[in-house]
Amino acid sequence: MNTILLVARREIGVRGRTKGYRYGLLVTAVLVAVLAMLPKLLGGPDDHTVGLAGARADRLQAALTAQTAQDDDLSITVTRYPDEAAARAAVAAGDVEAAIVDDAKVISTTVLGGRFAVALDTAHRMVTTEHNLTTAGLDPAKVAQAQQVAPMARVTLNGTGEDADVRSVIAMALVVILFMLLIQICTWVAMGVVEEKGSRIVEILLTALRPWQLLAGKVLGLGVLGLFQLVVIAAVGLTAAQVSGAVPHLPDGTYGVVAGVVVWFLLAYAFYAAMYAAIASLVSRQEELSGVLTPATMLMTASYLVGFFAVGSPDGGLTHVLSLVPPFSSLVMPVRAAVVQVPLWETALAMGLMVVAAAAVLYAGGRVYQRAVLRTGARVRWGEVLRRSS
Amino acid sequence: MLEVEGLRKRYGDTVALDGVSLTVRPGETFGFVGANGAGKTTTMRIVMGVLAADAGQVRWNGGPAGFATRRRFGYMPEERGLYAKMRVAEQIEYFGRLGGMRAPDARRSAEALIERLGLAARRADEVDGLSLGNQQRVQLAVALIHDPEVLVLDEPFSGLDPIAVDALAGVLAERAAAGAPVVFSSHQLDLVERLCDSVGIIKAGRMVAQGTVAELRARESRKRLRVVVTGAEPGWIDRLPGEVVAKTDRPHAAVPQGAGDERYDEVILVPSDDQEALRVAASAGRVQHFGWQEPSLAEIFREVVA
Repeated sequence: MNTILLVARREIGVRGRTKGYRYGLLVTAVLVAVLAMLPKLLGGPDDHTVGLAGARADRLQAALTAQTAQDDDLSITVTRYPDEAAARAAVAAGDVEAAIVDDAKVISTTVLGGRFAVALDTAHRMVTTEHNLTTAGLDPAKVAQAQQVAPMARVTLNGTGEDADVRSVIAMALVVILFMLLIQICTWVAMGVVEEKGSRIVEILLTALRPWQLLAGKVLGLGVLGLFQLVVIAAVGLTAAQVSGAVPHLPDGTYGVVAGVVVWFLLAYAFYAAMYAAIASLVSRQEELSGVLTPATMLMTASYLVGFFAVGSPDGGLTHVLSLVPPFSSLVMPVRAAVVQVPLWETALAMGLMVVAAAAVLYAGGRVYQRAVLRTGARVRWGEVLRRSS
Repeated sequence: MLEVEGLRKRYGDTVALDGVSLTVRPGETFGFVGANGAGKTTTMRIVMGVLAADAGQVRWNGGPAGFATRRRFGYMPEERGLYAKMRVAEQIEYFGRLGGMRAPDARRSAEALIERLGLAARRADEVDGLSLGNQQRVQLAVALIHDPEVLVLDEPFSGLDPIAVDALAGVLAERAAAGAPVVFSSHQLDLVERLCDSVGIIKAGRMVAQGTVAELRARESRKRLRVVVTGAEPGWIDRLPGEVVAKTDRPHAAVPQGAGDERYDEVILVPSDDQEALRVAASAGRVQHFGWQEPSLAEIFREVVA
């Protein structure tokens, strides 16, 4: 055990201090933070200004205030102007974004859109309706009473309809981050194996430790680096989204989803790292590596694509089945969990199957590695390492 | 005592080792010589457990050498292997820790070796920035760091400058004096002759000669005489009994021992009658040198391997 930790510590120390790792982590963190804040940055603030002039300005102001009171994310500052000319001048000077004159026309420099336009329109409808009804002889008090409309209660049948957009974005971010981290760390494992085999360091190493100890230490050490990256990225992303106000409140269960992702990362990493290491031990030169790794990389990419597809169709037939089947489950199930509520038994089944698959690959990969790692020179064939049981 | 007994190894149809045996006592330095592909590296890799033999065994202090035993061996493989991106001191220490040393011991031992091998100025450099000679010193330090009970070094001297050769030779002598059997292979036969207590010559997977350098010389069948005569008339060499291997006759050479402008002849002879040869030489001129010539290891090697 001590030996494994020594090997792991070397991997962390040597890989962790490279510029590639440090800047890579920094750049990724900044990128994730920017992406998390993007909706806010692009959307601009939902703080608006409007000028009011002419008839029924008081009533319009009241109607606007009532609307912003119901919506935390929208604020409208009202300025009063004596007449249309003053209001027009204020819009032209940029003092206000728009001005409503006589409850009849809205003046702006460009076409208004979004919630601000809806709010102005709603205020206009309310005030005009009220005016028309009162003019028709109805009791102003009763008219005011009739205007009091409670917002509709929202009932969602699958329980997660709320924040659906936020959930999709989180799911998409998760699958991209998981995939990129897995590819990166597993490639490091493969490169490390070839470095040791190609330079024959492995000959000295294996007089001091067993092949499985060397492999376990390498996988453990690089896994720690990968896990650290994942945690930093998740923390930066969630914090940036909240602090910037892009996502004022995370959907219920987001932290559970993130914790699940950590578990899925570890399982997928164990699976793919063992696979990459075993394959890498067949060759002696880095140039040969990408060629032999292609099937494994394709498998991972296929999982990634299904996971990406699952964002839009979390309960579709294919995504539903593949969210249970290893190794696809490791990239599909976290997405489903982020978007919809996955029954506990399905999560348990998917994780259980993935644990079994990872254990099997670790075992087989360890055997292949052990037989192939000292055989330098020409590429070792699969048949040679799988057939003989020495 | 390190004992290797009856090692056999085949690669497909190629026989790499055909019953190699050797013994190295504590404190003994054993030189392993042979042509390229003769089986030196294969033997050493089997001794270190990096390669499995088809037959035969390796014993240390009477018991079979297993994994735990070999952890206490120091090994320098033929193809050098170091982590390119690790710093010198860090790397040496790391192998010390893998060899079972505690951190402070590994650090102390690494520092001592760095001093001893002249790497002090390079201790914080990454290995791939070092010259080949310095990388080799690091490689040696890696083999020595955990104070091994046995040293197995494959071509440790290749590519070293004379100063590094002396430093390495000094370190090996130190380890041998401390009681460790030292085995190394080399093509530099003068070095093997100078450093080794015993020598093994391997040819095509078989040990063809083994023993101290003196023993190998004694076994040398073709004994040679070196005869130097000054002032002899031309033609006397033809009267010598036996086979003349080499001769120099310089009519007006600058003669050693200040004998003037005389003729100077040097002959290497495999005599059929050494006493008759002496009489011929003495009657021909002034005998400056008459004695058995000790064959160098290189000569023995060529003879044995031919």
